[in-house]
Amino acid sequence: MVQINQQARELAVKVVYYGPALSGKTTNLQALHQKIAPELRGRLMTLDTKDDRTLFFDMMPVWFRSAAGVKVKLRLYTVPGQVIHESTRRIVLQGTDAIAFVADARRAEAAATLAYWNNMLRNLEANGLDVRTLPIVVQLNKRDLPEVRGDDELADLRKVIQPPVVPAVAIRGEGVVETLWTLLSLTYRNLDRSLGLGARWKLDEAEFLGRIFEKIDLRGTRLPEEAPAR
Amino acid sequence: MTLAPSFLQQRPPLGDLLDLRAFTDVCQSFSELYRIGLKIFDEAGNRLVDVKVGNADFCGYIWTKASGREQCAATVGRVKSDPVADQATPTVFDCFSGCRYLVEPILYEGDAAGRVVFGPFVPEGPPGLPASLTGIAPDFDAALAAGYQQKIRRVPTATAAKILAHFLELVDVLVFSGHKNLIAARLHIEAVQESYRELQDKNRQLETSFAKLKELDRLKSNFIATMSHELRTPLTSVIGYSEMMLEGLGGPLTAEQREYLAIIMEKGENLLQLITSILDVSKIEAGRVRLVMAEVDVGQLLRDAVATVLPQARKRGVTVTCEPHGPPRVVGDREKLRQCLLNLAANAVKFTPTGGAVIVGSEPLPADRVALRVSDTGIGIPAEHLSRVFDVFYQVDGSNTREYGGAGLGLAIVKSFAEAHGGEVTVASTPGQGSTFSVVIPVRPRSEPALTPVLPAAPVGGA
Ligand SMILES: Nc1nc2c(ncn2[C@@H]2O[C@H](COP(=O)(O)OP(=O)(O)O)[C@@H](O)[C@H]2O)c(=O)[nH]1
Ligand SMILES: Nc1ncnc2c1ncn2[C@@H]1O[C@H](COP(=O)(O)OP(=O)(O)O)[C@@H](O)[C@H]1O
Ligand SMILES: [Mg+2]
Ligand SMILES: [Mg+2]
Repeated sequence: MVQINQQARELAVKVVYYGPALSGKTTNLQALHQKIAPELRGRLMTLDTKDDRTLFFDMMPVWFRSAAGVKVKLRLYTVPGQVIHESTRRIVLQGTDAIAFVADARRAEAAATLAYWNNMLRNLEANGLDVRTLPIVVQLNKRDLPEVRGDDELADLRKVIQPPVVPAVAIRGEGVVETLWTLLSLTYRNLDRSLGLGARWKLDEAEFLGRIFEKIDLRGTRLPEEAPAR
Repeated sequence: MTLAPSFLQQRPPLGDLLDLRAFTDVCQSFSELYRIGLKIFDEAGNRLVDVKVGNADFCGYIWTKASGREQCAATVGRVKSDPVADQATPTVFDCFSGCRYLVEPILYEGDAAGRVVFGPFVPEGPPGLPASLTGIAPDFDAALAAGYQQKIRRVPTATAAKILAHFLELVDVLVFSGHKNLIAARLHIEAVQESYRELQDKNRQLETSFAKLKELDRLKSNFIATMSHELRTPLTSVIGYSEMMLEGLGGPLTAEQREYLAIIMEKGENLLQLITSILDVSKIEAGRVRLVMAEVDVGQLLRDAVATVLPQARKRGVTVTCEPHGPPRVVGDREKLRQCLLNLAANAVKFTPTGGAVIVGSEPLPADRVALRVSDTGIGIPAEHLSRVFDVFYQVDGSNTREYGGAGLGLAIVKSFAEAHGGEVTVASTPGQGSTFSVVIPVRPRSEPALTPVLPAAPVGGA
């Protein structure tokens, strides 16, 4: 759950990139690290010590202070995708406020993707999190490769699954910012409902997103219409 | 089930992120290189590092004057605790002595994790000591103090700020790698704990299902025992009345009627035997085998077994010989030992083709033991099945059942009876050449037999 420090007027929001091994989670964070201005983010911490593969995840902090003086700290994590790192995955998922589910869009990967989706549902449950209320965005990555699902299939998918689906080529930075935008927009609404971000914290959605995305290199990015012009 | 809160959810204090001893060394050499002292405080105001360069004599002299002491303490308090902006820019603090400090927060992930107090240094400006210093006491020795001040580095504030920025970059890297190491170590422990917890969960589930299975198994054994008993009673009557008719007690019979009756009797006997075996097994499984110990004549035992299978062996064209060697007598349960040999001999005859030979014998073994042995020249048992033929209902080839008959209970009974005698049954076999089964038991029971002998149970087959 979002960590709140009333006294210091701070919110800590946890965002987890979940998905099968090699689907492109780390690549997402690397692209964001490049695109977000340094004064708004920390180093990208990658735990992938060669001799000890039980830990295998990345973390990057992003923060801003609102006009009303509220400090918002986002922590972006990736989970280890390898099957054996189940326990690490569950620990990283603990207390998450939002999930970007990164899937390999190739048809051959469909079974692995589904397995990880179900695995995520189990781990959410183990952490006492409710998939129906948690902001989730599905990223269909690697759309540059052959044998990926076509646009028509994407449209079909959008009809059957609840979370928004965002196509991406993370390795070229495409769709990465859009994914984060869609996810943070859902996250804002969710937190607004539970905490009253607008009423009690004097932080509206336009400012919440704007403070972050004004410091992101948006070249080649197509954000939805309602993107605040700043 | 919810997990214990992870280390990832906490932000450790600055002191935990740094290896303080190594960090102090770094600060020391940095300070000496630029000849400016520095102090590091964490968020809560705890001093983590304190390096003094060049100001000891100067400050020491001021400290000898009461007013100097007072004002010095005030400056120290201000640089340590006065608020500074959460920004990567230094705040200037001037000391009444004319020295200057730069204070800057140590920002980590956008938060002030502590602060660096950089100084004292003597900033740009007119040389000499300020009046705020020379006036602290009537006996203040300005010349002496000026001499001491020479030992403190004189540097423009802008330059000092650059040096400080440089230092903070270094701190940032150290804090980052410290944090990374800490996370790696703590998360490793958490992951191991979590896996352990998960395993324990699974273990508990397994234990519960195992307990359920055991209970079901017990119920099954009980059920079979009861059923077998109930089946046997009417069956004994069927056999008994058939026998009476066959003896003519119900009036004269035609040849055909006799033939049919004989078949009814034979099949009835087969059925009775099968039910008896099932009853034996269920008793074994329910742990109700009791031995009735007595002196048993080994030769008699072997001859009985041979005599019982001989008719069947003749029919199949298999020879059966008896070869007793070793102790003539053992102490054991005569009925159970007879049953063992009979089961083994019946198998040997059953699984040996025409022209083969079966030997039923005994042999002395070291440590006061005797082997009751049945060997044949039959079809043998493939190695991979050897360890399982003693399991209840196990048959090497299920499809053979039609050809050879039987329910797969004989050897399970032999094994359990042998073990009840404090012995064991072993097998050696070569497919296509034959098998040898040995029941090895002590010549007399060692101290306590496996199960306490009690009065004999009602005789098998009694109406
Ligand atoms: N072709 C292609 N390769 C990608 C894309 N995104 C990631 N990759 C590659 O997929 C591999 C695994 O990516 P990584 O981010 O390490 O996966 P993770 O295990 O989910 O963190 C790497 O070799 C990436 O370069 C993409 O959009 N297109
Ligand atoms: N002397 C033997 N030669 C070959 N196979 C044997 C012999 N004795 C036992 N077996 C194998 O072990 C299995 C189990 O034997 P047993 O428990 O007596 O059951 P059953 O005789 O009713 O099949 C037999 O079905 C057979 O496959
Ligand atoms: Mg990765
Ligand atoms: Mg048998």
